[in-house]
Amino acid sequence: MGFDVALRGLHFGYGSGPDVLRGVSLDVAAGQVAALLGANGVGKTTLTRLIAGLLRPRAGRISVGDWDVATKRPDEMARRVGYAFQHADQQLFARTVRDDVAFGPRSLGLGEAGVAGVLEELGLSAAAGTHPYDLPAPVRKLVTLAGVLAMDPGVLVLDEPTAGFDLAMRDLVVAAIARRAARGTSVLVVSHDLAFVAEVAGRVVVLRDGLIVADESARRLLSHTATLRAMGLRPPPAAAVGLALNLAGEPVRVAEVVERLRGVRWTPAP
Amino acid sequence: MSVIRLERAVFRYAGRPEPALTVERLDVARGELVAVTGPIGSGCSTLLLVASGYAPSITGGTLEGERRIEARRPALVFATPWTQLTGIAHTVLAEVAFGPASDGLPREQVLAAAHAALERLGAHHLASRDPALLSGGELQRVVVAAALAQQPDLLVLDDPAAELDPEAADRLYDLLGDLAREGRTVLVATPDVARAAHVATRALVLERGRIVADGVPASVLSETDVARIARAAGCPGPLPLDVAALVARVAEAG
Repeated sequence: MGFDVALRGLHFGYGSGPDVLRGVSLDVAAGQVAALLGANGVGKTTLTRLIAGLLRPRAGRISVGDWDVATKRPDEMARRVGYAFQHADQQLFARTVRDDVAFGPRSLGLGEAGVAGVLEELGLSAAAGTHPYDLPAPVRKLVTLAGVLAMDPGVLVLDEPTAGFDLAMRDLVVAAIARRAARGTSVLVVSHDLAFVAEVAGRVVVLRDGLIVADESARRLLSHTATLRAMGLRPPPAAAVGLALNLAGEPVRVAEVVERLRGVRWTPAP
Repeated sequence: MSVIRLERAVFRYAGRPEPALTVERLDVARGELVAVTGPIGSGCSTLLLVASGYAPSITGGTLEGERRIEARRPALVFATPWTQLTGIAHTVLAEVAFGPASDGLPREQVLAAAHAALERLGAHHLASRDPALLSGGELQRVVVAAALAQQPDLLVLDDPAAELDPEAADRLYDLLGDLAREGRTVLVATPDVARAAHVATRALVLERGRIVADGVPASVLSETDVARIARAAGCPGPLPLDVAALVARVAEAG
């Protein structure tokens, strides 16, 4: 079961410093996958921590379904919001991958029936008995995602879930998110990887100077070079191919571009 | 003369019988910018550790065969920047200055090296910030600056742009190209093949701990989104790696 997430007029700053977020309002509906973009240091991770209840806003309100986040402790929030940290090592502590992934559902009283399935889904079954710190850093990140998915939360908040991933690992994450969204889970991903964003998100939100400066369909934004350039971005590869070849329908995903190139009669490379 | 030479080198992590890396022969010359890539877990990070001298002296494990590193000062940037902070600096400037200060350089030279490194990374605006409170991307720039402040002649970086925004990632790879042209030797492991292919003079592809391809990037790399599109659409190899190359192939097809 998914939950609508609503942010209203959020202000936040660290310590006595200035506001990092200066009145952010955002809705992510159940079943929607939204991507949050923005330059380094703009406050994307801060925003995700607010949604997870790990930080409290100076002003404004966050609701997850019928819960007011201000009234919930972080451990209570974990029942609804699955949060994968940007830095996986902040989230791993068990001696084996299996134990780490099982910790969340066990703590929530959900049992461990779903653990094996999630490990399989993310290609981690063979590593189940391995110590997480014996795995490469990107695989450790995948383990933290598995731990979050194993709790089957109604909301997924994923901070740079594919940083450092190769294409095969990125595919696993795209498929895992798509399955949850199809079941009604609302998803917010923070990412600089626009190719990943194109594959997974229906909507793109851009944060700059503490405010949301763009909130559009992924297809429209990712295939609009001038708008992206103004934000220091450029179209992801599939969208760039579509634009360069003037392909119909503003394709932004690999499969969409491949479909439109089916009729090309290729010649051997010179 | 090679800056790095590995010959019949076999590295094993402690407690693991199977080799993590087996290299028949590898020579890296001064001024080369070598992209190291391959599926996650194929040994790219291990190659960086061995090639920079950190393995096995820091990591433990055993290295058989010949290894020669002709570098006065190698510097390594980890894939996990948060593990690379000194933990004792209260400002980014102090963090970046730690390396040259440890060399016992005069204060003016230490500060000049730190400021120059931050400038090159476009991170000077972070100088007075607390390193512990940086965002992931800011932190990644700072640890690269800290490595650069040591004025290494061999710079080894493990996926240094993973958390950078696209503009910052482009700038970082351009900087790596500049450093190589200045005569420094640069090894960079990355799954971002498209970006690496733009600046690297050479690419190594690893699989299961072995180098399976070694050559100019366009001839040995094949795992980019554009290459995927081309492969799935039936384009014969060698596959185009970037948008311009694919567009050219479509134009040739008519």
